[in-house]
Amino acid sequence: MVNKILYEIIVHEEKCTGCLICQLNCSYVHKQIFSPSEAFIQISNQYSLTPKILFLEGCTHCNQCAQHCLYGALELKEVEQ
Amino acid sequence: MEWHGYTGNILNVNLTDNKISLTKENLEDLKQFIGGIGINCKLFAERFKPNIDPLSAENLIIIGTGPLVGTATPGASRTVAISRFPATGAIANSCGSMSFGFQLKHAGFDHVIISGKSDKPVYLLIWDDHVEICDARQLWGNDIVETHDALIKKYESCGTIAIGQAGENLVFSSLTLIDRTSTFGRGGLAAIMGSKNLKAIVAKGSKGISIAQPKEFNKLYKNLFERIRTYPHRESWHELGMLRSLPVGMMLKASGQNKKARQCTDRFYLKKLKKRRIACPSCPMGDKDILELKEGDFAGLINYTSSVINPFLMFMFEGLKSYTEAIKTFDLINRYGLDSLTMVSLLEFCNKLYKEGIFTKENTKIEWSADYNTFIQLIEMITHRKGFGDILADGWNKLAETYDDIGEEMLVVKGLDVIFEPRFLHLGTMEFEQVVNPKGAHVASGGSPTYVGAGSSKDKFIAHFKRMGIPESAIKRLFSPPFPEMIVNVGRLTRYSEDWYTVLTSLGLCARAQMNRFWGLESASEFYNAVTGFERSSEDLRMAAERTWNLMKIMNMKEGFSRKDDKFPKGWFKPLKFGVNELEFIDFFGETKITHDIANQLLDDYYDERGWDKENGLPTQDKVKELGLEKYL
Ligand code: SF4
Ligand code: SF4
Ligand code: SF4
Repeated sequence: MVNKILYEIIVHEEKCTGCLICQLNCSYVHKQIFSPSEAFIQISNQYSLTPKILFLEGCTHCNQCAQHCLYGALELKEVEQ
Repeated sequence: MEWHGYTGNILNVNLTDNKISLTKENLEDLKQFIGGIGINCKLFAERFKPNIDPLSAENLIIIGTGPLVGTATPGASRTVAISRFPATGAIANSCGSMSFGFQLKHAGFDHVIISGKSDKPVYLLIWDDHVEICDARQLWGNDIVETHDALIKKYESCGTIAIGQAGENLVFSSLTLIDRTSTFGRGGLAAIMGSKNLKAIVAKGSKGISIAQPKEFNKLYKNLFERIRTYPHRESWHELGMLRSLPVGMMLKASGQNKKARQCTDRFYLKKLKKRRIACPSCPMGDKDILELKEGDFAGLINYTSSVINPFLMFMFEGLKSYTEAIKTFDLINRYGLDSLTMVSLLEFCNKLYKEGIFTKENTKIEWSADYNTFIQLIEMITHRKGFGDILADGWNKLAETYDDIGEEMLVVKGLDVIFEPRFLHLGTMEFEQVVNPKGAHVASGGSPTYVGAGSSKDKFIAHFKRMGIPESAIKRLFSPPFPEMIVNVGRLTRYSEDWYTVLTSLGLCARAQMNRFWGLESASEFYNAVTGFERSSEDLRMAAERTWNLMKIMNMKEGFSRKDDKFPKGWFKPLKFGVNELEFIDFFGETKITHDIANQLLDDYYDERGWDKENGLPTQDKVKELGLEKYL
């Protein structure tokens, strides 16, 4: 049996640009629509000095959001099993 | 029908009688004009009456976005506004970024047509199906940042277009900011909003945008995203933003301002100024800046800007002694909703005329000295239309009428000051565009061809031309300039740059170099079809862009514009003192001095490539017929 590699997402809010790419990908993958309000990751105060990133109930830990964040705000880290 | 990409809805708002209504997009129109800048032109042309006062209730503002906006398509962020602008009297489109267009689409609208004039200050709220003209008496008199902050406090995540005091006071060089960051509407969009008593527009949406062909879209998106992810310069773009493309420090050094040049380096910016990078929705190449002054008299000041190069360009004015003065001045200009580029040009122009004794304390009522305090005083006077500021507030044309013999000295086309100086940067498409753009001297649509190909081989140019969808049959002509040493013919090339820009801006895509480089006409059409479910060829898109540009020209022809207005500023033909150097007006490769004859030849070539009449610089009957625009004549 091959062990599945697991990741966790480390959040760096200070690097978030408010691009919403994470939300767009999350809602598209899970609900087949581009809609930030349907995403399981919420970015609030998108363009403020202190944006907030929050994962909501229902998040499947599919990591699509982090795989598409090119700004380093959602870092994927391998978890030891 | 079921809409994908598009929402299919056009919102009509009449501010005079408080009427709000909805119309549906017409499929035939979308075929002809795509969306964004194209549909804006079409909607405007249908409702257009020439020679109305831009600041009267009769003028319209149409705001639009493109079919890709609201999806994850990288860089699909554009908001475009068309109106008759007070600084020039031209019918022009202005383009901006940040989140307004995205929110508008998610609220369920592709375009908004604003007509009439409110009798008291209002703002327009578009929140999904809830559209309301709201009381803005509390906001009137506030600057843009205060207005934006108040609206964000009330509506949380939303896109805003707001005006400051300059717009309220109908200053011709006023503009609006989207999300307090992106400049939008050079040439007086804020004054047009001000004349309608419209303080702001808020869009907030939660409806989502669906895709017609998900399988096809996924494939295209995955490929494009991977290309961006592995782009070797991506991280340095994130780090430096637009500073990467325009090293202002070098310009300052060349102008002999060494001390100031040291305050504009990459390192200085990263250490002393950069607070946070922000990006438009969907953009993986974000370049917007939040700046913070960490030292000096204005320590603690936070400024949002579409790029740090804006305040740095301000720093070119010799009277500003430190970067903190430049940022503070820029911040004030932003808050009032003035055009920072025009302010620097005006200041430099006034400074020159004071030095020459043409402007004096007597005829301007200003004690002039070229320094920070005078600059601030002038900004206040223009914004609030006090004294001499009242004349300056009516723009370059008024200034030229008021004082004898100074018009010739202005570096202005059609009432807008030039942004890119070809004596420093050479005559590329971006500099040439400033002469022929119906809007006046502006840089946007001439942006790509020469800059991407800068200093490179013919082959690289050709690859770039093909990406933009320039037909094979035109390529030989593009390499036939008036003199062989010039290599490319910027006149002819500008036509294709405009078309390419129009394709991008119709779809809603960002045309800035770092995003533009990932797109080609072919891939743009593929995305368009996958998102909307339409079947359009790249040639259809290119034609739609050409049709749009011609329609814009036809409207301006009706306003009385023709070849006589596509005028190279006289000053370009004289040497420019730049530090110890004297810079001449030369071609893009720096080989040939541009004379009046060569300039005229390039204009002839531009019209010829457009299929326009060389005598009057306007679309010919044949061209109009070919594009199916007869009914707009
Ligand atoms: S977390 Fe990453 S992808 Fe999401 S908005 Fe912030 S920067 Fe963009
Ligand atoms: S990890 Fe959670 S939030 Fe991220 S894309 Fe997957 S479901 Fe959405
Ligand atoms: S490159 Fe800049 S302007 Fe263009 S979409 Fe990205 S953040 Fe917006």
